[in-house]
Amino acid sequence: MTLKQGKNNQTYQVLSIDIEVKLERRLEALGLTQGTHITILNNDKKGSLTAKFRGTRFALGKRIADHIEVKEVSLS
Amino acid sequence: MKNIINVGFIGNPNCGKTTLFNAYTGANLKVANWPGVTVEKKEGQTTYEGDVYKLIDLPGIYSLSSYTMEETVSRQCIMSDEVDVIVDVADASCLERNLYLTLQLIELGKPVILALNMMDIVEERGMEIDLHRLPEMLGIPVIPVSARKKTGLSILMHAVAHHKTNLHQSPLIHHHPGMQSSHIHNHHNEYAMVYEDYIEDKIDGIINKLNEKYKELPNKRWHAIKFLEKDTTVTEHYPLEIDDIIDKSYEKNIINQKYNFIEEIVSETLVNKSEKAASTDKIDRYLTSRFLGLPIFLVIMAFVFFLTFTIGDWLKGYFEIGLENFSAFAAEGLSAIHTNQMLSSLVLDGIIAGVGGILTFLPNIFILFLALAILEDSGYMARVAFVMDDIMGHLGLSGRAFLPLLLGFGCTVPALMASRALEHPKDRFKTIMVTPFMSCSARLPIYVLFSSMFFGKNAMLVCYSLYLLGIIVAIATAYILSKIDGTKAEHALLIELPEYKSPNTHTIAIYVWEKVKDYLGKAGTVIFIASVIMWVLLNFGPAGYVTDISQSFGSLIGKVIAPLFRPAGLGYWQIVVALIAGIAAKEVVVSSCSVLFGIQNITSASGMDSMVDTLGSLGFGAANGLALMVFCLLYVPCTASIATMQRELGSAKKTFGIILYQLAVAWIMSVIVYHIGLLF
Repeated sequence: MTLKQGKNNQTYQVLSIDIEVKLERRLEALGLTQGTHITILNNDKKGSLTAKFRGTRFALGKRIADHIEVKEVSLS
Repeated sequence: MKNIINVGFIGNPNCGKTTLFNAYTGANLKVANWPGVTVEKKEGQTTYEGDVYKLIDLPGIYSLSSYTMEETVSRQCIMSDEVDVIVDVADASCLERNLYLTLQLIELGKPVILALNMMDIVEERGMEIDLHRLPEMLGIPVIPVSARKKTGLSILMHAVAHHKTNLHQSPLIHHHPGMQSSHIHNHHNEYAMVYEDYIEDKIDGIINKLNEKYKELPNKRWHAIKFLEKDTTVTEHYPLEIDDIIDKSYEKNIINQKYNFIEEIVSETLVNKSEKAASTDKIDRYLTSRFLGLPIFLVIMAFVFFLTFTIGDWLKGYFEIGLENFSAFAAEGLSAIHTNQMLSSLVLDGIIAGVGGILTFLPNIFILFLALAILEDSGYMARVAFVMDDIMGHLGLSGRAFLPLLLGFGCTVPALMASRALEHPKDRFKTIMVTPFMSCSARLPIYVLFSSMFFGKNAMLVCYSLYLLGIIVAIATAYILSKIDGTKAEHALLIELPEYKSPNTHTIAIYVWEKVKDYLGKAGTVIFIASVIMWVLLNFGPAGYVTDISQSFGSLIGKVIAPLFRPAGLGYWQIVVALIAGIAAKEVVVSSCSVLFGIQNITSASGMDSMVDTLGSLGFGAANGLALMVFCLLYVPCTASIATMQRELGSAKKTFGIILYQLAVAWIMSVIVYHIGLLF
């Protein structure tokens, strides 16, 4: 599933990021790489969503959220 | 002998570098709570123990790989000889994110000092940072500071003084349970950031090759890592045959391993990880909500303008009384000392009428900027980018581009500069093109004056609709541009949402004071000079000093151009002269009118009445007034904004094109509005 399909307040693990290199690098520099845990805060809108990773909140555009493959993580 | 030591302040966006810089240098640079406020590097000085320190405040960056213009500025500066000591400012309340840049800076091999900023917030949230263990793991001095409360400043300078030449790092103490390197050297004694063995092997291999080919190259380890990341600036600069060592880019592995190490650091040094962030989430539930987000934003903006007009106008009344008294007093004084008629006309009709008229708008300007400052300092601006992203997407822009537009309500010049935070040149051009349509505070006096002259109790409604018209023209322009270039949107919103904080009085005071000072400065310079020039043009003609202004140079110039403006109901030479003068600064339109029509206190009720009478006798009514306001809203904002546009675009052709477009739009819209207005 993609990050855009995710639910609010659920934590996911990034499986892959499939977007142009420039943007991928930018996300990597922010610490969003394969394996990073990311928690969706607000995915109610059609377009962009807000999420938290590596301790910081971010607003991510739809195009980014559509191109991040994630899987659910059950926090024990 | 005095040494000058160059200290570069670098860190993530919104971590408080500028606040720290201001604290040292006494400068009043603007700070706010959204990422990307500083877009240019700024320099200042301080002295410590007899040495002079040149401090450089740089735009915030997340990593040393550069993507946007502001990041390139910072990276180039920090890597050049311009900087002797790096002060890495980190937001201690968000250590995990900030340490990534720290690790990259340490690898550069220059002296680095970590300034842990916002320690007061860390305490407030009940977190604690092990300040003994952190430097042990990083191998660099770590100084807790609070730029806002000005604590730890001298200790930080002390550390800079003592580590300026000290390339050798403090002893490193690692534990790394179960991860002891089986590498030839135990790098853990030498470097803070040690990669897994297979990476370290490759680094060693590349260093060996570098030793053969580029013996003089400093800090080979850093270069080797850049080779592994396939960083083009390094690989092109130092061609090296290393295909046998690396088969692909190891950038991802390097990033991941850095973040793994950061996790280790955070787990060892951060006690009581914050739970208090919850309040920001709670507020965000409303402010960024799908259905409430946009209405809340609109209500907030409407409230801002409501305050600007109502409270501003109320205070303005007192300024007018003051101006009237002053003008009468000056007139009395001048005649008492028998000043000749020409000089007293210059002082009363030229300077006091022109500059004084502008000064009475100070309360409106003050309130508008106060409101913007509070919005910016609270952390709400980044949310606005999120709320507006979907709408901006239809215009071919990212939500991030909305921030320059919003700042445009204050002043066009900084708004144009804020467009630097956009990554794509196309987005920047579009944003720069539409930003001037957002009605800046300099246009406010024109609306206030003409709408209260012609529209009485509907004046505020007219003001609102002008703001709205500016927004609509901006949106339409962006929409047309996105249809023309037709390329699929490359932009994608990516912006940090900072924690909310209660606005800081000091920060806001600086912000507002700077704007008020600008406004006063403008009144004392541009508007003063424009008023004097205007007076000269209106009191001298081919026949010398004239008392009938219809014989003056100004009138002659205006009469030549006036026919061009007739379709817009603005074909009066006085209005044309005022509009031309308004290119210097928009307020000049108002000050010129008072000089042109010889009304000393144009903003007072009696002044307005006599102005309406004068204009009425010329056949200039409400429809003409509305057309004038529309023209002023849309045509070239001011000389300063033209200069800024030219600097940001770096192309005289594009700048000129935008100016022509603005004039054309202003003319067309005012013609339309005039003819619609005539129907009523």
